[in-house]
Amino acid sequence: MNFAKRAWLNLRFKKGRSALLILVTSAIMLFVLAGLLIRNAAATATQQAKDSVGATLTLSANRDAAFKQMRQSTTSGKPTMPKLTTSPVKLSTAKKIAALNGVASYSATVSTSANAKGFDAIETASASQGFGGKLPGGTTSSSGDITVSGITSTASNANFANGTYKITSGRGLKAADADSQNVVIETNLAKSNHLTVGDTIKLKATTGTKATYTLKVVGIYKAKSSATASAGPGQSDPANTVFTGTTLANTLKGSKYAGTADSVTFNVSTPAKVASVKKAAKTLINTSKYSLNADDASYQMVKTSMKSVTGFANKIVWLVVIAGTIILALIVILMIRERRYEIGVLLSLGESRAKIVAQFFVELFVVLIIGIGVAAAGGKVVGDKLATQIVSAQTTTTTSSQQTGGGAPSGSQGGAPSGQMLGGNTQRRTASMTNPSQKQTQLQTQVTPQVLLVLLAVGLLIIFIAILVGAGGILRLQPKKVLIG
Amino acid sequence: MLTTDKLTYWYTSADQALFKDVDLTFEAGYSYAIVGQSGSGKTTMVSLLAGLDKPRAGRILFADHDIAKIGLAAYRRQDVAIVFQAYNLFTYMSALENLLSAMAITNAAHKGDKDYAKEMLRKLGLSDAQMTKNVQKLSGGQQQRVAIARTMVCDAPLVVADEPTGNLDEDNTDAVIALFQQIAHEQNKCVILVTHEPAVAERCDAVIRLANKRFTWEKTI
Repeated sequence: MNFAKRAWLNLRFKKGRSALLILVTSAIMLFVLAGLLIRNAAATATQQAKDSVGATLTLSANRDAAFKQMRQSTTSGKPTMPKLTTSPVKLSTAKKIAALNGVASYSATVSTSANAKGFDAIETASASQGFGGKLPGGTTSSSGDITVSGITSTASNANFANGTYKITSGRGLKAADADSQNVVIETNLAKSNHLTVGDTIKLKATTGTKATYTLKVVGIYKAKSSATASAGPGQSDPANTVFTGTTLANTLKGSKYAGTADSVTFNVSTPAKVASVKKAAKTLINTSKYSLNADDASYQMVKTSMKSVTGFANKIVWLVVIAGTIILALIVILMIRERRYEIGVLLSLGESRAKIVAQFFVELFVVLIIGIGVAAAGGKVVGDKLATQIVSAQTTTTTSSQQTGGGAPSGSQGGAPSGQMLGGNTQRRTASMTNPSQKQTQLQTQVTPQVLLVLLAVGLLIIFIAILVGAGGILRLQPKKVLIG
Repeated sequence: MLTTDKLTYWYTSADQALFKDVDLTFEAGYSYAIVGQSGSGKTTMVSLLAGLDKPRAGRILFADHDIAKIGLAAYRRQDVAIVFQAYNLFTYMSALENLLSAMAITNAAHKGDKDYAKEMLRKLGLSDAQMTKNVQKLSGGQQQRVAIARTMVCDAPLVVADEPTGNLDEDNTDAVIALFQQIAHEQNKCVILVTHEPAVAERCDAVIRLANKRFTWEKTI
C-alpha cells in the first residue's frame, strides 16, 4: 500500500492542484448525477403511469367491414336505401375473452332509447327539434326521448370511474343488477320530476311490442356541467340518460338483442399486456364481424413523453460523461506529464508500472469521492431544476402535438356504437389524457444509494480512461528516456 | 559482481554504434569511475548498467545472471541503487519520507523502520528538523546526501551514480565522494560513478576512460 501513501502525500502537498481537481470533478459529477436522477425520475414516472393509467380493449361491431358490405350490396343490387347491418357482441364471447390471462375485468354496454311514461324527459331547444321525426329519405326515426345505457356496473363505467358522473344519492348499479329492473337517473331529471331513490319510473320501448316497463330508482347521479353541456343539435339532453342493467336495456332494444351488447370493454391489468391479450382475443372472435380496439393511448402518450425525457436525460449523461472524460483526461494528462520525472524515479527504483498507475488512481479516487459527495449534496437541486425545465419543454411539445392531431389517440373510435356518443368514450378519453400531464409536472428526482453507485462507476470509468490516456505514453517508455530524454 | 559481455549500443544504426563489444568487470567492495568527454556515451553506459535501458547487443550479467532474464524492473528493485545528478527525489515528500518510500518499493530489509532511516540520515549529516522538511527546502548538497542515503537504505549491492557531484560545491563534493568510498569499502558494495571531474575520478579505486567508442582502464584495482 506504499502507492496509496505516496498518493496521499502528493494530494496533501499539492493542495492547490488537488482543490482544482476536486472542483472540476465535482462539477462533472454534479451534471452526471443530475442526468442520472432525471433518467430515473422519468423511469419512475413512466412506471407510475403504467400503474395508474391502465389500458382497455373494446370489442364491438366491425363497422368498417359493415360499411364495406353495405357498399358492395348497393353497387351490385337494386337501387335501394343503403342499410348498415352490424352484429351485436355476444356476451358469451365476452366472457371467454374476460377469462384470458391479463384481463382484470370487463364491462358491457348496451345503448338504446325509450320513451318516458308518467314522467317528463328534459327538453332542450335543439334536442326537441330532432326526435321522432322523419329522416331524409322518408324513413321514420324510432328514437325515444330517454337514452338507456345498459351497463355491467357503474363502477366499471368509464364516466363513473373518472368522476365525470358521480352518485349523489342511493347507490350505483352492481353486477348483481344485470337482470334487475333497477335504474340510476340523472339529478336534473330526478328534480324536474320530483323523483327520489326508491321511486319508480316507467319506460316504453320504441321497438317490437312497445311494452312498458316499470323501473325502480336505486341511485341518482350528477354529471359534470361539461358533460351535460355537450349535447349537440338533434341529440337528447344528457340528463335524459338513465343507467340500467344490460338485460333490461336489451329487452327495450328488442328481443333479438338478448344476451348481447353494443360493445364490451376489457380492462387489461397492465398496458404492456394489451398486445398479447388482443392477439389471444382475436382468435376467439370473427374479425369480419367484430373489431377489437386497444385504448392505451393515455399510456402510450405518457410513455412517449417520458421516453423523450429519458432520452434527453441519457443524452445529458453521455454528453457530460464524454465531455467530463475529455476535460478530466486533459487535466490529468497535463498533470501526469508534469510528473514525468517522478514516474522516471519510481521506475528507476523498480516500482511496477501497475503500482504507478495505482498511485494516480488512488489520488483521483480520493478526489472523485469528494466530488461525488459534493454532487450528492447538490445533485437533487440541480436535477430538480433541470427536470422542471425539460418537463416544461416536453409538456409544451406534447400539448402542441395534441392540438395539431399528432398525439390524438385513435382508441375505440372505429368501433364505438352510435348510442354511446352521449356518455361514452369521448369524455373518458379527454379525462384520461389530462392525467399524464399532471404526472409530468410531478417528475421528482431522488438521490438514492443505487444512483450514487452508478455515479461512482461512471466516475471510476472516467478517471481510469483519463489515467490510461495520460500515463500510457510515459509508462511505455524505458526509464532512461523518461529521466534523461 | 557485474560483467558486460560484448555490450553494444547505438541510437540510430548499428554502423554508428556508441560503443561495441564492450567487456568490463566490476567487483564488490570497490568504487569505479567512468570518465570521458561529454557525449561520449558515459551516461548511456551507466543507464545500461543500472537497467534503465536495454542493450542493442550483448549482455549484462549480475552475479552471473543476465539482467534481461532477471527482469529490468526486478533488477532495479533488488540489485541496483541509482544516484542522479539532479538528485531525483520525490519533491512532495520530506527526506525521511523519501527514504521510507524507497525502502518500501525495494522491499528493503529495514522496510518501514523509521528509526533506521533517521539514523542513516543523521550519519549523512542531516538534523532531525531537516529530515522532516520537504526536500525542496534543503540545499543541493543536502538533497544529494538524501539521495545517497536512499541508496544506502535500499540494500542494493550495486550503486550506480551519474554525475553525482555535478551540482555540488567543492566541500559537498568531497563529502559525497567520501560517502561513496565508505559505501564501497565498509558496506562491500560495488560503486560505479560517471564523472567528468578528474578530482572525483582520482579518488575512486579504478578509472575507466571512454574515448573513441572504446573503454580503457586508466587505473586498475
